[in-house]
Amino acid sequence: MLKINSVGLTISAVPLLNNITIDCPRGSVTALMGPNGAGKTSLLKVISGEHKASQGRVEINRQSREDWKLAEIAQFMAVLPQSSTLEFAFTSEEVVALGRTPHATGTVRDAEIITAALAKVDASYLAQRSFVQLSGGEKQRVQLARVVAQIWDHCEYEGEGDAPTDGILLLDEPSAAFDLAHQLMLIDIVKQISARGVTVVMVMHDLNLAAKCADQMVFMNCGHCTAVGTVTELLTPELIKKVFSVDAEVITHPLQGTPMVVV
Amino acid sequence: MKVLNTRLITPRLCALLLLIALPLVSVLGLMTGPVFIPVADILSITLSGDGGNSQEKLIIEIIRLPRVVLSLLVGALLATCGALLQGLFRNPLADPALIGVSAGASVGASVVIVFGSMFTAGGLLLGLSAISVGAFAGAIITSVIIFRLATGPQGTSVATMLLAGIAISALAGAATNTLSYLADNDMLRRISLWQMGNLQGASWDRVGLCALTATFLAVLIPREAGALNAMLLGESEARHLGVNVEWLKRRLIIYSALGVAISVAVAGVIAFVGLMVPHVIRLLVGPDHRALLPLSALAGAILLVSADALARVVIAPAELPVGVVTALLGAPFFLWLLVVQRRRI
Repeated sequence: MLKINSVGLTISAVPLLNNITIDCPRGSVTALMGPNGAGKTSLLKVISGEHKASQGRVEINRQSREDWKLAEIAQFMAVLPQSSTLEFAFTSEEVVALGRTPHATGTVRDAEIITAALAKVDASYLAQRSFVQLSGGEKQRVQLARVVAQIWDHCEYEGEGDAPTDGILLLDEPSAAFDLAHQLMLIDIVKQISARGVTVVMVMHDLNLAAKCADQMVFMNCGHCTAVGTVTELLTPELIKKVFSVDAEVITHPLQGTPMVVV
Repeated sequence: MKVLNTRLITPRLCALLLLIALPLVSVLGLMTGPVFIPVADILSITLSGDGGNSQEKLIIEIIRLPRVVLSLLVGALLATCGALLQGLFRNPLADPALIGVSAGASVGASVVIVFGSMFTAGGLLLGLSAISVGAFAGAIITSVIIFRLATGPQGTSVATMLLAGIAISALAGAATNTLSYLADNDMLRRISLWQMGNLQGASWDRVGLCALTATFLAVLIPREAGALNAMLLGESEARHLGVNVEWLKRRLIIYSALGVAISVAVAGVIAFVGLMVPHVIRLLVGPDHRALLPLSALAGAILLVSADALARVVIAPAELPVGVVTALLGAPFFLWLLVVQRRRI
């Protein structure tokens, strides 16, 4: 679905990314992790098309990123930025409605999707509130509802067989502003929509949270890809020490059996 | 959880109120002036073409009707362009002066006023005086310069445009001041009157020119409403929603430069309409451009017609410049709305 082939990125003579190769199959969840300035967001921006790769290429559906038209790609790929800068007093409902901009599904269907998307992120009670007055976590939830609404048909596809095209969701530190309950809600949403065939790539800082839903982890450092593998392969004291310069123990979750990082 | 409704009225109700107010203020605009003309005569003259006495008919047809129509069009153009620019800059306090149009127009007009006798024979072009042509040229030249300065290989930077606009406006202001310094008393008076804006020069030719521009923009601008809404989220967010941001920015700059340049050319610098009207409408019905753009056009038209009517009666038989009246009318209303809005939050 999404292939990153030896991608490099240099902006104003500063190399930000170096020879990154990652394969994200359909319906997989990839967690990009690493210290600040490792190039996680830059990589996400290359995938989303905001930066053009200086070397290598990004392939979406076996087609080079540059060959996709903006309007085409917006129908199946949505991007959640780290923070929002909206300063106009839209209601939350209107913000989510903006996610339907690339589609011509009609106001009735859109209204259904908007209501359902707000319910999905536990923000129905915010629908009529002014977005600018919300707290950081509430804003981020409404923005999450917006990007989910944008690729709703892929997240909720219930027809026969596979969806006609597969969705891609890029999340940049989606859980940073969330409380504990909403962090777990995010994990559930990611699991749910990836099960429907949406490919998810997300930047995360919380190793344990990422371990709960990632099929694939990518450790990045100084613009390089240090390691790519499953959660169990990557969450080892040696690799964590190498990438994050932190001494950590890895234990097994007593009930779920997933690895847990303890510092 | 208490549900806060952040809107004062629905777009539909707002449209209804404005559509009721529009003909009322237009008739009021036709009635007022040095010669008072009663409503009955205005209706019979404008609707059936006769009635009233011949003097009234002449005043309506040659002076007041073109003036009222011109104010409607200029008000609508200024307010719509203000709304476009506020969306483009993602700043509710942006106004047409930001892209340097007003300052450039002032230089153009001043050059013609001060050196006019050297290179014009006082002829008219499409009903425009040489001053108007100078203002239009000045407006377009400055906005092109600012646009070019802000456009690099990475595309057009709205932030750079803002800074370039301030710098070029300052430069243009210095040029206008120099010209004012060189000017004699009569020229000086004409420059400062022009900078306050007035609709005295209204004629059917000018109405035609404005109507053509307004029609052109009325066809093109509503198509951008959805993309402008997405732009409010941020440029990259809009791109991820499938908007070709670079071309959108260019179109918006061209539309607003054209709209403001024409308004400035026919009516001088009329402050405040482009800043205030979209802001007020946004406070009333919210920031959705699908409602904001047409409602701003209506409200801008109403504001300018009322302001112009007032300008003719306050110190009758003399006239106040309409730009002074828009500021006098608009500023307190604007402040009142801000205070009301603050209490609601």
